[in-house]
Amino acid sequence: MKKHAAILMAAVTLAAACLGGCSGNGTTHTGQGGVQHVRLMVWAPSEDQSIDSGQWLQKSCDAFAAQHPEYDIEFIYGVADEATAASQVAQDPEASADVFMYANDNITTLTNAKAAAKFGGIYREQIESTSSETIVNSLTLDGFLYGVPFTTNTWYMFYDKSVFSEEDVKSLDAMLEKGVVSFPFTNSWYLPAFYVANGCTLFGDGTDEAAGVDFAGDKATAVTDYLIDLLDNPNFVVDSDGSGMAGLRDGSIKAIFTGSWDAASIHEILGDNMGVAAPPAFTLNGEEKQMMAYAGSKAIGVNATSDYMLPAIQLAIYLGSAEAQQLHYELRNVVPCNTELLARPEVASDMLVAAQNDTFDRTSILQPFVAAMSNCWSPVENMGKGIRNKTVTHENAGEQTQAMNDAMNSDGIS
Amino acid sequence: MKETRQVSAKRKRFVTNTIVHIVLAILAVIWVFPILWVILTSFRAEKGSYVSTFLPKSYTIANYTRLFTDTTILNFPKMFGNTLFIAVCSCILSTFYVLAVSYCLSRIKFKMRKPYMNMAMVLGLFPGFMSMVAVYFILKALGLSEGGLIRLALILCYSGGAGLGFQIAKGFFDTIPRAIDEAALIDGCTRWQIFYKITLPLSKPVIIYTVLTSFIGPWVDFIFAKVICRANADYYTVAIGLWRMLEKEYIDSWYTCFAAGAVLISIPIAILFMFLQRFYVDGMSGAVKG
Repeated sequence: MKKHAAILMAAVTLAAACLGGCSGNGTTHTGQGGVQHVRLMVWAPSEDQSIDSGQWLQKSCDAFAAQHPEYDIEFIYGVADEATAASQVAQDPEASADVFMYANDNITTLTNAKAAAKFGGIYREQIESTSSETIVNSLTLDGFLYGVPFTTNTWYMFYDKSVFSEEDVKSLDAMLEKGVVSFPFTNSWYLPAFYVANGCTLFGDGTDEAAGVDFAGDKATAVTDYLIDLLDNPNFVVDSDGSGMAGLRDGSIKAIFTGSWDAASIHEILGDNMGVAAPPAFTLNGEEKQMMAYAGSKAIGVNATSDYMLPAIQLAIYLGSAEAQQLHYELRNVVPCNTELLARPEVASDMLVAAQNDTFDRTSILQPFVAAMSNCWSPVENMGKGIRNKTVTHENAGEQTQAMNDAMNSDGIS
Repeated sequence: MKETRQVSAKRKRFVTNTIVHIVLAILAVIWVFPILWVILTSFRAEKGSYVSTFLPKSYTIANYTRLFTDTTILNFPKMFGNTLFIAVCSCILSTFYVLAVSYCLSRIKFKMRKPYMNMAMVLGLFPGFMSMVAVYFILKALGLSEGGLIRLALILCYSGGAGLGFQIAKGFFDTIPRAIDEAALIDGCTRWQIFYKITLPLSKPVIIYTVLTSFIGPWVDFIFAKVICRANADYYTVAIGLWRMLEKEYIDSWYTCFAAGAVLISIPIAILFMFLQRFYVDGMSGAVKG
């Protein structure tokens, strides 16, 4: 079956290269009048399909079908959110959706299972022409492109405008003087922002697994020392298990770090006072350092074992197009990433879109998705917990930072 | 002299009892604490997953109504229905399997009896999850991994291995004297008639026990349901639904509903237990009297 899939793949890449005209992959059935019957299974999060949030998926798929009279498409919808879709597809590609949505940190799960189709030819050009280079890189592995990006995925800062001015939110130190700031200190998706700010690196530029993690030496120890002091600041509160959100709700906390998924709840709490901004800079030994968030993307992927490869690829392209992204934004506030769409004034003026894109472009690094990245989560989390529990102190900061670095560079077996 | 000794013995008993009761009360509080907390959270009006006070500041039943009215994203009533259906069917099937296997092993002597019991013992030592991937692919090969047949697939999963868990029921059947069976045989009963006319009525406690365990298994199972349901949201069970409520996109607005859901799923088990407990206690006084 794998061989079969490979042939299919080759056929599609070829079809893509010769401007997509032919449908000669042998497994599709052509009905009467040259209309091809196509059965496409599409997986998306339940909000994309629910009536309350506008049925983005159904509307977009219907629009796609209307644009392609050459296909007689039967859509089958399934529920799989971006975080878990990749593992669902990898579990059994043949019984999975032809088109699905996934978060880019799962890309190796898909490629290891040989479950993701590569986008080539005109399709790749089309994606590259409407997306920023960074976001295309976030979906590229060994030179192959594995999906159509439709949004960026990162975290940034939500704050109370009545407490902090737009000038304040550029600096964590200025903020801490004015109000209480809560940060997910024990969450390893957030904490590395401080280390990366001071020149620590993960896998070279994020793709070089052999380069390993560099969270060691004086630069990292300086950050650990800074974090120990930061925790002693009475205006700094650790956010864990939703305590930041609860604090925002009861007014004891004025700024938290999270992403677009909490935007609606925060808007409900702060109303017009809600401000959104990229992570601030902080002062380390007299120098200004910019916090750098982990960033990724969410993309529409195509199953490499799909029986209807060409329509599947075309549907994926459509679901990631400016038109579909705009509908997604209107119905569900999904921040678009299409460069044409972002240039439009009504989109560009949206605070959330601006902050998310500013974070993505300026104050983030691509979250590495090399396999060894899986060793990097627990050591950082343990460092955060160690600092919170006061087991990491100024006396042993160097030693503990080195231990974290060693653990990040080891899979714990060898 | 005699009196004072009596008084001091009384006092000593009183002191001991007091200490014992205090310790028991503390233990009871610790034990009930999490349950109480879940119930309180299910009635909490403040949103969010984290609160700074133990007792909610205001109470509401909106969390319960939301579970049954806000069904477009997480369809709780449907999941509840799916789970109930699957659990009831699996319960009936597994109970029958367990009792039938136990009866055979207890009453009929056949060549493979000992080897079968040994094999079941050894197989029982392995966790069921080990076979999960194989089970999934077998179900897929049979065409049971899509659409409405998912329910059947889950019922088969939960009840299929029941025959291996015969030990307790067999142990119970062994305590029913053979003489009763022999008397029935002389009166002209078949094996099957002995089973349902003589043995079963005498075995209420163990039937109750089997029913309870085979209902709770599928009712609370998460992992098989997750592997088999995959993206078919229409066939999700309650366990998957509750798990999804805690994902980062939902946790802030669904957390209190999650607690409400947790309270609701404990109700069928509680009812089943309260209703069947009577027989359980009755039966424990002995299988056969006289």
